Amino acid sequence: MKSRNEKEFVRLIEEHQNLIHKICHLYTKSNTDHKDLFQEITIQLWKAYPKFRGDSKFSTWMYRVGINTAITLYRKSKRRIQILSFEDVAYKVPQSESYVDTEDQQIKAIYQAIKQLNDIEKAVVFLYLEDKSYKEISNTIGITEVNARVRMNRIKKKLINQLNP
Amino acid sequence: MDELKRLKKDWQENQKFPKLSQFEIYKFLHKKSSSLVKRIFLLSLIEFGFWTFISFFIKDNEAQQRFDQYQMEHFTIPLSVFGYAILLYFFFLFYNNYKSISSIDSTKGLMQQILKTRRTVKNYVIFNLVFLYIFIVIGLLIELNNNPDVVMLTAEFNSSGDYLIFYGIIIILTLIMMALLTALLLGFYFIVYGILLKKLKNNYKELQTIEADTD
Repeated sequence: MKSRNEKEFVRLIEEHQNLIHKICHLYTKSNTDHKDLFQEITIQLWKAYPKFRGDSKFSTWMYRVGINTAITLYRKSKRRIQILSFEDVAYKVPQSESYVDTEDQQIKAIYQAIKQLNDIEKAVVFLYLEDKSYKEISNTIGITEVNARVRMNRIKKKLINQLNP
Repeated sequence: MDELKRLKKDWQENQKFPKLSQFEIYKFLHKKSSSLVKRIFLLSLIEFGFWTFISFFIKDNEAQQRFDQYQMEHFTIPLSVFGYAILLYFFFLFYNNYKSISSIDSTKGLMQQILKTRRTVKNYVIFNLVFLYIFIVIGLLIELNNNPDVVMLTAEFNSSGDYLIFYGIIIILTLIMMALLTALLLGFYFIVYGILLKKLKNNYKELQTIEADTD
């Protein structure tokens, strides 16, 4: 029975692995940290799996456990998950590049700026990028819907400030 | 903020990562297979330390001192050296199993390594039991030929013609002692290695189901 559960779990993780990768991408800097966080999230999901009753979608449940694991690890060990320093993310958008290149540079710059946000802000942005409603964001992170909106507005301002110093 | 909208679009379209296989995900959950094999290696070293400590502890007892008087070193020392050499070989095998299992990247490879590790532990237990029996039999023969009390007793039974009863009792007592020691040693090994071997067996079964799925 246990092994059947495990088989099903591994299959579900394989199916939804991109979601975990995206969390790892946002919360880590190096490939090694990415892999470590991926493993940690998988283990935490496996530990919590017996409690998953199927009331919500598997992916919704994954968001919650994955983000919480990333936040916990982020807080617990900043040595394990390296955080970019401000100097690391200093950038200049090249003015003479073509439009596509400039846009590409800008997106890269926003990614870098997002990596500068704190753990909860990253979670809010992540769910925003995943096209989740404020209600879903609030449910996943465990904050109120109003708080989620306020935080997202603050984040936008923060990003604008970082991108246009 | 237009950049954020562009980012959202990029995020949903371009966030592609190398796809992990079921086996790779399974390995995340079962990093324990390699840590179990590592524990087996470490336990074998601790066990060796434990028995060495015990042997030092009983070194000066009466029976040991009497045994030393028989001057059988020419026999017992080579036997001990042989025993230690085999033990060293097993430590090497345990270490080798751990090193191999850490670098395996296929279901079949991991399954084979689990079987190999289980086999090594079983051989190790069998070796220890056989070595114990050899020591008991040799110790008994030395006692029968050198212990003055036993020699006298043997002479008495021989003269009265009841030597068959005497040897019968000796053999039965030896067998009982061997059975007790076997039970004790197997119980000890069951606690030390048995639980780890059972976990490895469970991992093996789970790997079998994954292997069956991917075939």
